[in-house]
Amino acid sequence: MKPVYLCSGVRTPQVKSGTDTKDVDAPYLGHYLIRHLMDQTEIPSDQVDEVIVGNTGTPAKYPNIGRVIALEAGLHKQTSGYSVHRNCASGMEAVSQGFVKIASGRSDIIFAGGVENMSQMPLIYNEDMTEFFIQMMKAKTPADKLKVVSTFRFPHLTPVIAIEQGLTDPFCGLNMGATAEKLAREFGLSRLDQDEFANKSHAKAIAAMKAGKWNDEIVPLLAGKNLEKLITEDIGPRDNSTIERLGKLKPYFEKKTGTVTVGNACPITDGGSMWLMASEEAVKKYNLKPMARMVDFHFHGLEPERMGLGPVMAMDGVFKRSGLKLSDMDLVEINEAFAAQVMSCMQVAKEKKYADKWGIDVLGEINPDILNVNGGAIALGHPVGSTGSRLIVTIAHELKRRKQKYGVASLCIGGGQGGAVIVENLEL
Amino acid sequence: MSYEKITLENKDGIYYLGFGKYEEKSMTVLYKETLMELDTAFGEVASDKKAKGLILFSHKENCFLAGMDVSVIQGLSSESEAITGCEAGQTVFNKLEDLKVPTMALVDGICLGGGCEMILACDKIIASDNPKTAIGLPEVMLGVLPGFGGTYRLPKKVGLPNSLDMILTGKQVRSRKAKKIGLVEAVMPKERLLELANENLFKKFEKNKSMTETLTEKAADNFIARKVIFQKAREKVLETTKGFYPAPLKILDHLEGSAGKKRETYLSREAKAFAELTQTSQAKNLQHVFFLHDESKKLETETEFKKINRGAVVGAGTMGGGIAWLFAKNNQAPIMKDISVEGLELGLKQSSEVFSKAVKRKRMSKDDFNRAQRSISAQLDYNGFKNVDLVVEAIVENMNVKKAVLSEVEKEVASDCILTSNTSSLSVGEMAKSLEDSSRFAGLHFFNPVNKMPLVEIVRHDNVSDETINALYKWVLKTKKTPVVVNDCPGFLVNRILAPFLNEAAYLLQEGVSIKDIDSASLNFGMPMGACRLMDEVGLDVCSHVGEIMEEGLGARAKASDLSKLATDKDLLGKKSKSGFYTYDDKGKQLDVNPKMQALLPNKKKSMDETTIQMRLFLPMINEAANILDEKIVDSAGTVDLGLIFGIGFPPFRGGLLKYADAEGLDRIVDAINSFAESVDKDRYGLSSYLENLAKNKQKFYEASVQ
Repeated sequence: MKPVYLCSGVRTPQVKSGTDTKDVDAPYLGHYLIRHLMDQTEIPSDQVDEVIVGNTGTPAKYPNIGRVIALEAGLHKQTSGYSVHRNCASGMEAVSQGFVKIASGRSDIIFAGGVENMSQMPLIYNEDMTEFFIQMMKAKTPADKLKVVSTFRFPHLTPVIAIEQGLTDPFCGLNMGATAEKLAREFGLSRLDQDEFANKSHAKAIAAMKAGKWNDEIVPLLAGKNLEKLITEDIGPRDNSTIERLGKLKPYFEKKTGTVTVGNACPITDGGSMWLMASEEAVKKYNLKPMARMVDFHFHGLEPERMGLGPVMAMDGVFKRSGLKLSDMDLVEINEAFAAQVMSCMQVAKEKKYADKWGIDVLGEINPDILNVNGGAIALGHPVGSTGSRLIVTIAHELKRRKQKYGVASLCIGGGQGGAVIVENLEL
Repeated sequence: MSYEKITLENKDGIYYLGFGKYEEKSMTVLYKETLMELDTAFGEVASDKKAKGLILFSHKENCFLAGMDVSVIQGLSSESEAITGCEAGQTVFNKLEDLKVPTMALVDGICLGGGCEMILACDKIIASDNPKTAIGLPEVMLGVLPGFGGTYRLPKKVGLPNSLDMILTGKQVRSRKAKKIGLVEAVMPKERLLELANENLFKKFEKNKSMTETLTEKAADNFIARKVIFQKAREKVLETTKGFYPAPLKILDHLEGSAGKKRETYLSREAKAFAELTQTSQAKNLQHVFFLHDESKKLETETEFKKINRGAVVGAGTMGGGIAWLFAKNNQAPIMKDISVEGLELGLKQSSEVFSKAVKRKRMSKDDFNRAQRSISAQLDYNGFKNVDLVVEAIVENMNVKKAVLSEVEKEVASDCILTSNTSSLSVGEMAKSLEDSSRFAGLHFFNPVNKMPLVEIVRHDNVSDETINALYKWVLKTKKTPVVVNDCPGFLVNRILAPFLNEAAYLLQEGVSIKDIDSASLNFGMPMGACRLMDEVGLDVCSHVGEIMEEGLGARAKASDLSKLATDKDLLGKKSKSGFYTYDDKGKQLDVNPKMQALLPNKKKSMDETTIQMRLFLPMINEAANILDEKIVDSAGTVDLGLIFGIGFPPFRGGLLKYADAEGLDRIVDAINSFAESVDKDRYGLSSYLENLAKNKQKFYEASVQ
């Protein structure tokens, strides 16, 4: 395998859905990041091999969003582009495909990342209404039409909420929140444990924001009805979060007996992230200064109803592939889909009985001091298509800041999978 | 018969008549010879008993016919000559109309003036779907009216309201609109025009009109409705032209008076109206401006120069945002850098407002707006400056700050990147000193608001290279603006001549002349805005600042009135503070004369007749323009006039400031200036020696400085 360089990675501010970015079409959460990354270099626009973009709620207007982003970014028309979908890990899948292509010597310069505008996930006509439209189209004469019209009932107008359907596992029938409740029960995690975890996430994110840590990775996003407003910071982290406040929220998924609330789960969020990836030849040719090397990646499946444990399975796999261990890692990111889910992962990683149950090695204790050091999705949000690459952006920048070597970014994937990527900081 | 302007080919009885095959210029125009050849060609078709049809087309891409050669119109020295000219053309097109065989024009590219009048004489017109295809009658813009039967045939084809809209404004209609109003029978892909010609020539094209269209047409087609339409049109014309332009009114008179007349009568009335208009000073001046503008579009040079594909603006805000808009509009994905997010948002707002207006008017789709506005990279750092070809500095007007920023920018850009400053009044030569390589630096002065003002001054200094000037000139043309190259001096060309106008207005106010009198005197001269209103627009703080710079640079003759400074101290900044000579509402609409400003002016009012006010305002401008020519700031009187027309909206019907002066007589002007030197101020009316010499030698501005 040839070495694969992560030259530079940036992201949009992550913005709570339904607010400032609700009018920003998904391609525009990615195209300007490519422009920005291109501007950091002097790579001619026709020298980019491919643009790979993760996206889950494919907008009807942009079926292949990767290609749209490549064109909107002003890259040469000959640069190909495509879109990938691995649910919550779509962005990570994009970067992983970039990795394979460069490592195998097929490609030299690739943009890989993810975008998601969850504000724009649609409401869909239900089956009855769809059938009604089909019959209307078939009806030729006014009499036929009248006949069809008479079949109309008001419940036909009840929409299917795409986002709700998307977040429900079609195989086990559980909503993602319900899978988190299941883990909370099985690993004995109390409501208070989860709220404390969530509260810390906000505190860490706010501290990072105040320290200006995001400035290197966030490129301000143009938004507003008339496109005249720049969003420069994440909109989501709360500087007034307290355990008491979190405690007042009602369980959302299991109303009577549950522990998972909207406060200790990640909010629905819009955002994008992008990496400029390059081969050794390209690095030399264009005098690039890569910030990191991508060591390897791994994806792993498990039972859908315990999808939250995916990160541990994936980390086990990527450690085996790379020959590195948890103890080699200076930083760990586990995406905070739910507090309960991350906390369960920490238990599974260190205990032999769990390791045996899922057929993995004991990874060891995940040191909370190096886990999600700048907060996680509970505060920053989880724009599904982007998070996988966003985690890599964030961990690479933090390694650089700390002048430390290795980090692993991992996340759970709806449908019962986990993904993990190891990066090596080159700016020690 | 051999043809030199057109081609004529007979294919199985169908005649194909082509234009532009032998035209070397990018645009084919109609010459007198072309008309003669057309006459022969139409005769050939008419006398061929086996002829089945005639098809007109163009060999050239993007141009069908750009109309009559304007110099022919300009050369018409009397009404009778003009009438003869008109009749010659009319006869040819009548011949086309009277052909027994079906006739059809295939229009791809622009088709204007005489070209449009010719296709109207065909049975059918098929337009191509080329976005460059546009049909129009722009004669009114040259101070005349269509004289080859256009006024006769257009109303018959598209109805009165549509014709008035086209003939009175000179606007061009694109294919889709042309189909909608019935000007063309069909719109087809340009590659298929000729392929389908045979079939289309004999095909019947049904007009599918919407209910409203039919109703409007019916409603317009009666005596009373026509009266109302003409009445409204007259009001509108007077409102927009303020009566300065005779052509639109003549067009209305002619269309109303000739309606219903037989072809022969109608056409002879058209010829007469055309002929009368050709002899007006307004028409001659408008044609003069047309040639000035046309000339400015040419850049003859041997030197190679850089092509500008992408630019950056340093300093967002009103001007920076406007310039970023211009880049974005021309697909040049600009970078806009500022030192604060607030600054960037101000610039983004500027650009967004202009784009949004285009969206509202359906000139731009929402997707295109998104794309264009998002092509502006608004940022606080110099990321990407290595990749741009042109940087425009548009920060605060302060020499030291500008020098510091320019020298900082120079370190961030590639070695062949062109650097410019959008300064309106500071010395470009002085700024150049801040750079290591000043040969790639020049002034690039845009006028506010950038989207509306067509002029851009390219300012030279001692070290600038021709490559730099040429590259900028070409780029300005590409953005569809009008460039003028000027040498470095306080205020450059336009502001240096505008300054005495505004300054003198301030002095007049302090003498007791009222705001209203001054503004109406300027408006009645034909200026787009009164002098006081213009100061409000510019900003009184800016006026005061520029006044100081002028006085410092030009000495006693530019002695600045202290009025703008007094007003600035009282926070009367003009439109931007909603309070200047006038008050303004939140939307910037002018309300009333501002009592706070009145308080700064003498209580005792002085009445002065309008002509004297006008002389007081415009003579110092002429005098300063003479100084500018004397100092060789620009190359010719024509450049001065072009600059003022496109920079401050000096009335085009006057042909420009110096054309106006030439017409008035320079000796009279010298006398008037001298008398004001005695009665008003010897410095401000200190006669330019250049002007004095011209008058002495009985020369005109335009004779002394031949382009």
